[in-house]
Amino acid sequence: MNAFDSLMAGLSLVGNIQAVLALTIGVAVGVIGGAIPGMSATMAVALTLPFTFAMPTIPALLLLLGVYKGGIFGGSIPAILIKTPGTPASSATILDGYPMAERGEAGRALGMALWASCTADLISNLALILFAGWLASFAMNFGPPEFFTLILFSLTIIAGVSGESLLRGALAALLGLLLATVGLDLVYGTNRFTFGDPNMMGGLNFIAVLIGLFAIPEVLAMVLNPTGHLGKTRSIGKNWVTFADYRRSFKSIVRGSFIGVALGSIPGIGAAPSAFLSYSEARRTSRNKEAFGKGEVEGVAAAEAGNNGVAGATLIPLLALGVPGDVITAIIIGAFMVHGLQPGPTMFVMNIDIIYGLFIGLILSSALLFMIGSVAIRGFKYVADIPRRLLIPGVLILCIYGVFAVNNNLFDVGVMFVMGWVGFLMMRYHVPAAPFLIAFILGPLLEDNFRQAMLMSGGDPQILVRGPITWFFWVLTAVTLVAVARAGFRGVQDKVRVKTSS
Amino acid sequence: MNAYIIQLRLGLLAIAASAFLLFVAIPAWVTTPGGIQNIVLSPSFWPYVLAGLTGLVGAGLVLAALREQRDGAAYDPPIADRGRAYLRLGLMTVIMVVVTVGTAAIGMVWMSMAAFVATAALVRTRHPVAAVICGILLPLVLYAFFAHVASVAIPQGNLVRLP
Repeated sequence: MNAFDSLMAGLSLVGNIQAVLALTIGVAVGVIGGAIPGMSATMAVALTLPFTFAMPTIPALLLLLGVYKGGIFGGSIPAILIKTPGTPASSATILDGYPMAERGEAGRALGMALWASCTADLISNLALILFAGWLASFAMNFGPPEFFTLILFSLTIIAGVSGESLLRGALAALLGLLLATVGLDLVYGTNRFTFGDPNMMGGLNFIAVLIGLFAIPEVLAMVLNPTGHLGKTRSIGKNWVTFADYRRSFKSIVRGSFIGVALGSIPGIGAAPSAFLSYSEARRTSRNKEAFGKGEVEGVAAAEAGNNGVAGATLIPLLALGVPGDVITAIIIGAFMVHGLQPGPTMFVMNIDIIYGLFIGLILSSALLFMIGSVAIRGFKYVADIPRRLLIPGVLILCIYGVFAVNNNLFDVGVMFVMGWVGFLMMRYHVPAAPFLIAFILGPLLEDNFRQAMLMSGGDPQILVRGPITWFFWVLTAVTLVAVARAGFRGVQDKVRVKTSS
Repeated sequence: MNAYIIQLRLGLLAIAASAFLLFVAIPAWVTTPGGIQNIVLSPSFWPYVLAGLTGLVGAGLVLAALREQRDGAAYDPPIADRGRAYLRLGLMTVIMVVVTVGTAAIGMVWMSMAAFVATAALVRTRHPVAAVICGILLPLVLYAFFAHVASVAIPQGNLVRLP
C-alpha cells in the first residue's frame, strides 16, 4: 500500500459521523474535565476508558485522544480564572494568565491560550505524522545517564521562573526537591521521612501538593484580608484576543510547540516541564522581559504552546515503538490492547490504515478544539464574574473533592491543607511557587536516573559523560548557568550603581 | 516586611532547617541499609546533598540581606486590624483540621456544606443567602458527579447516607 492508498484507507475509517461524533464528544469532555481543578486530563481519560470498551476501534481511540487534547487545553481555564491549574501542565499558564485576569483581561488571556493551544496542537500533530519513526528512534537512545543530564538541564529553567530573587527561587526549588524525597527509597525500599505512616510511603500525592500550593493560599489570603480584592478589576474585559497579539506571540508559540514536540517525544518528561521551558525561553528572548509574570499575553501563549505541543508528540513513541510517552498515553495504550492492537513498528505494517485514520483524526481534533474551546471560554469565563467571596469557598470545596478523588484518601486532603499553608507563607515571604513545583516534579526523576546510572557503572561517575547526548546536555546546562550567573552579577552591579548614585 | 527582613528571616530559617536535617532528621528518619559500598548509592546521599545546599542558599540569603537597606520600602501594604486577621486565619485552620479529621465520620457532603458556609462567613460575604444556597448545592452536585459518574467512593459518614 502506498502513502496515498493508506491515506484514503484512513479517511474511510474516520470519514463517518460516528468517528467525528466520538472525537467531538471527547474534546468537549476533555475541556470540561481539564477545567475542573483536581480532575485533570489524566483522570478524564481514565474515566472515559471504560466507556470505549464496547465501541468500535477507531471511534474508541478518537474519543480518548479527544479527551486528552481537550483536557490539556481545559486546564488553562481555571488556571487563568481562579489561579488553580486544572491539570499540572497548566501550572505555567498561571504565571501570566492570572495577573491578566486580575487586571480584567481574562477574556484576552483565555483567547490567547486557545489560539496558542490550537496552533501548538496542529504543529505537534504534524510533527507526529512527519517525524514519528525518526524521533522515536532517537529517544530510544536515552538511558539513565542521558535522562539525568536532560533533567539537570531542565532544572536550570528555575532561574527563569524565580522572579525578583534567584536565591529565593533556589530555596523554593530545594524545598521541592527535599519534599520529593519523602516515601520509600526506590532502590532499597527503605523509609525516607515516612514516620512509619503507610500513607507517606508512596510519597506525597502530586495533585494534593499542586492544588495546595496554588489554590489554598488564595483562600488563606482572602481570609487574611477579605476586602483586599475590592477595587481591583476582575471582569472578563475585552472578549477576544486580537490578531496583533497572536502575531506578536507567534515566534514564542512556534518555539514552544517545538519544545513540546521535542520533550513530548521523550518518554517520561510530560507537559508541565515543557510548558515551563517554553515559558522560560519566551521570557529570555522577549523584548518585554520585565512584563513576564505580571500579565504578559506572550507568557500565556508560550506556556500553552509548550504544554499542547506535547500532546501529539507523546504519541510518537506510543505509535512507533509501543512505549507510552506519559501517564495519559499509558492509559490510552490499554485501549489499543483491548481492541486487539499492539502499538509499535508492526502496527505500521499490519494496521497502517488505522495509523493514518488516527493521524487524520488528530488533525481534525485541532479544528474541533478551536470550536469547542471558543464555546467553553464563553461558558467558563463567567466564573470570573462570580463574587470573589462566594467563589473562594467554592474553590475550597472543589479542591477537597478533587484531591480526595485522586486516591480516595482523606490523608491527601490533609496534605493539601498543609501545602496550602506552605504556599501561603511562601506568598507572604515572596518566595516563588513555580520553582518548588518544577523541582517537585523533576526531583524523583533526577534522583532515580542518577542512582540508576551509578548502579550501572558501579559508582563510576564517568558514565554521566558517556556519549554525545550527555555532553550536549552538560554543555547546555553550563551555558545556561553561566548566563544566569552573568545576569545575577549584572543585577547586583546595577543595584550598587543605583545605591551610590542616590 | 521589606527586602532586608524577608531575606534575613528566610536565610536564617534555611540555615536552621539545614542543620536540623543534617543532624536530626536524616539520621533519625532515613533508613540506610548496612553494607552499602558506595556512598552515592545510599538512600541518605540525596537528602544530605539537598540539606547541605539548603544551608548554602540560606547563607547566601543572609549575605544578600546584609546588602539591603534596613529601612527599605515594605513589599506589601500593611494589614488593617492585624489581631482580627490572625484570628480569622486561626479559625480557617480549625476548619481545615475539622474537614481532614471529621469527614470520615460526618460525611464529605455534610462536611463540605458546613465548610462552605463557615468559610463564606469568615470572609464576610455580602451575599449570605446565595452562600447558603451554593453551600448546599455545590457539594450535592459534586457528590452526584464523583459518586455516580466517576465512581469515586465519597465518604458518606455515620449520619445521613445519600443514594
